[in-house]
Amino acid sequence: MNNPLLSIIKTGIITQKDLFPDLTDDAIGLPSLTSTPCRSADCMKCVSACPTRAITVDDDLVTLDRGSCLGCNQCVAACPSGTIVADRSTKTAVRTRKELVISNQVKPVTTSAPTKLPFQRSLHVREVATGDNACDLEVIASTNAIFDIARFGIHFVASPRFADALLLTGPVGRAMQEPLRRCYDAMAEPRLVIAAGVSAISGGLHGGGYAEANGVDSILPVSAYIPGDPPHPWSIIHGLMLAMGRLE
Amino acid sequence: MMNMFKRVEETPSALALTVKNWLAHRGRRFGHLTARANGKGQFVIEALALDRNTGGGLIITAPLTEGELKYPSLTPETPAAHWAERAVGDLFGIQATGHPRWKSLILHSDAWPDDPAPLSSLERLHKEPYPFLEVSGEGVHEIPVGPIHAGIIEPGHFRFSCVGEIISNLDIRLGYQHRGVEKRLAELPWQQMRYLAESAGSDTAAGNALAHATAMETILGIEPPPRAQALRTVALELERLANHVGDLGALSGDIGYSACAALFPPMRGAVLALAQLLTGTRRQRYYIKPGGVARDLDDTRRTALVQGLVDISRRLEELIPLVLENPAVIERMEGTGRLSPTLARDFGIVGPAARASGSHYDAREVFAHGVYPGRAPKVASRTTGDVLARAQIRVDEIHAGLEFLTELLDDLPKGAIFIDCDQEKLPLDAVGVGIVEAWRGELIHWVTTDRTGAISRYSIKDPSFNNWTGLAIAARGNLVADFPLCNKSFNLSYSGNDL
Ligand code: SF4
Ligand code: SF4
Repeated sequence: MNNPLLSIIKTGIITQKDLFPDLTDDAIGLPSLTSTPCRSADCMKCVSACPTRAITVDDDLVTLDRGSCLGCNQCVAACPSGTIVADRSTKTAVRTRKELVISNQVKPVTTSAPTKLPFQRSLHVREVATGDNACDLEVIASTNAIFDIARFGIHFVASPRFADALLLTGPVGRAMQEPLRRCYDAMAEPRLVIAAGVSAISGGLHGGGYAEANGVDSILPVSAYIPGDPPHPWSIIHGLMLAMGRLE
Repeated sequence: MMNMFKRVEETPSALALTVKNWLAHRGRRFGHLTARANGKGQFVIEALALDRNTGGGLIITAPLTEGELKYPSLTPETPAAHWAERAVGDLFGIQATGHPRWKSLILHSDAWPDDPAPLSSLERLHKEPYPFLEVSGEGVHEIPVGPIHAGIIEPGHFRFSCVGEIISNLDIRLGYQHRGVEKRLAELPWQQMRYLAESAGSDTAAGNALAHATAMETILGIEPPPRAQALRTVALELERLANHVGDLGALSGDIGYSACAALFPPMRGAVLALAQLLTGTRRQRYYIKPGGVARDLDDTRRTALVQGLVDISRRLEELIPLVLENPAVIERMEGTGRLSPTLARDFGIVGPAARASGSHYDAREVFAHGVYPGRAPKVASRTTGDVLARAQIRVDEIHAGLEFLTELLDDLPKGAIFIDCDQEKLPLDAVGVGIVEAWRGELIHWVTTDRTGAISRYSIKDPSFNNWTGLAIAARGNLVADFPLCNKSFNLSYSGNDL
């Protein structure tokens, strides 16, 4: 049998109807903080386990920056008190950088949607990759029949001229800073920038070196941040819809 | 793991000849070349020569005399060294004299105008604008493409010189995503290197993590337990399977065959779901580590994995013929983007691209990593070297991989999944070479410690570092419109190359 049409019909509808499902129990996601008291100074296990210095512990105040977190869950495994736990939500994107910094004591900040939302119905996106191909592959995955990002009015386009939003992946080393700026300049206003993945947000493991691969923040204004290394396709969709103003 | 590489010293002027003579024997190939500071105020040029007969090889070290920042190029005798020498030029400021295409490879002069060479702090070479190879003659015109491409893909610049619609030369300029991975790796505490090492090319996390772990285990002289080796191999093979399946969809997309471009990606997703079952993430991050693996596979999940593979296998049996037994597809792929066996060999092309051009080299049959080379699936090989052959190799490897994965999972060794080695200190003046057959081909992590036990050089050779040249050659004589298809049939890494 060599009939693609038949294969398509046999495949049926495989698009996930349940939007933003949590990751399965087998998966590891990003870490989250609970109000369970931290053992603080005589512990510090999470701080020494973290490869990106995403966690600080000051007395019993634990602060975790999801914007520089890989999601390796070393801290979750190390924490004896249950202050740091695994979070399997795929609704991980936020509007501002400071919302990515969570704490076990201070209530999380959330920023409401801006009043002007020109792209609530549809969004044409230009992706710019700068060094994290796993993230690019997850962006591509968001377009497949399972996640089907197109059903939310989101389309990837070939030129910044057609684009409403720039989706950035990777840490933007020096040689990509100029091409990135030029791509942004070529977009008509209004326009959005969305940073996907820890490298795009903060440079991740690459930050602070001679290549100045410190993420997009110092280069362009960002409307939504999608943490993770790489983020799950559902999280990418979450970030784009958040930037559109279609989600709270 | 045992160190299978012998170190010998040579003078810089004799290096080219020594390498050439050593490689003249059957089964030997050029591995990589780099430089490092030797801790005595000197820089050395170091060539890694691989021996397929022994699963090891030679590290030929040539100390430069003080103040001498050049050596005679190996490239005229050993063309496979051509990019490595250019990378050393950029990163160390050391010149390969007599290199036939001497120009920058990684660092862009406009992005790093005044900085020293990052890995040596010496004065940088190549401060002029990048000289693209110009083709002259009647009717020759240039098409510049990139760095930012039209699809969701990494950046790089392609400069086509064309006569009419035909590509007469392609100059590929990369380096846009250079992020200083190798320098950072050498600065980190070794226990934390793995997070960065595995994202050197983040689409090859299992491959990079395994190459890193193998290199570090060689340096530390530790042997991971058999169960860990088997589980790592499962991860590596799932990564190969996912990417090969994805490539069949992408190839379909590039010839406008929308049905298969839509049917294959969910299959890739099905493989990634199994990868997540095994490792905790779709992209198999944080799983393979020096000493073993990060988590065990209990029996329930093992059964689910085996069942998942059965389902995928059944489904692919139906889908693959839609591509490879379709006359319209074959018509487009046959004869397109041909890479001859001779040129593939001369330039040291690796992986499926090499095996599509007559090579029988598969690092799984040669070098110790995971359960290899003790057990390895049959090596696929074809001779036509065109897009079709590269697609067929992937199909052969999908079939072999599915079978091998089931075998592996059916009799997983019992026992521990890692040896705790986190407290170990790295020995002095040691070297570890981890060579892995990643989904794109031979991937090398080459780690050297100095007289204090600190990492003095962490060098990575991604398979794409060899294969970009293969693409440049294969594109010649083809229609510009067929370039995306040629490109996809190699599907190379930009970030793994740029580091
Ligand atoms: S999960 Fe994030 S915060 Fe926790 S150890 Fe890993 S990188 Fe650090
Ligand atoms: S590991 Fe847990 S208990 Fe220990 S310092 Fe960190 S948050 Fe507190």
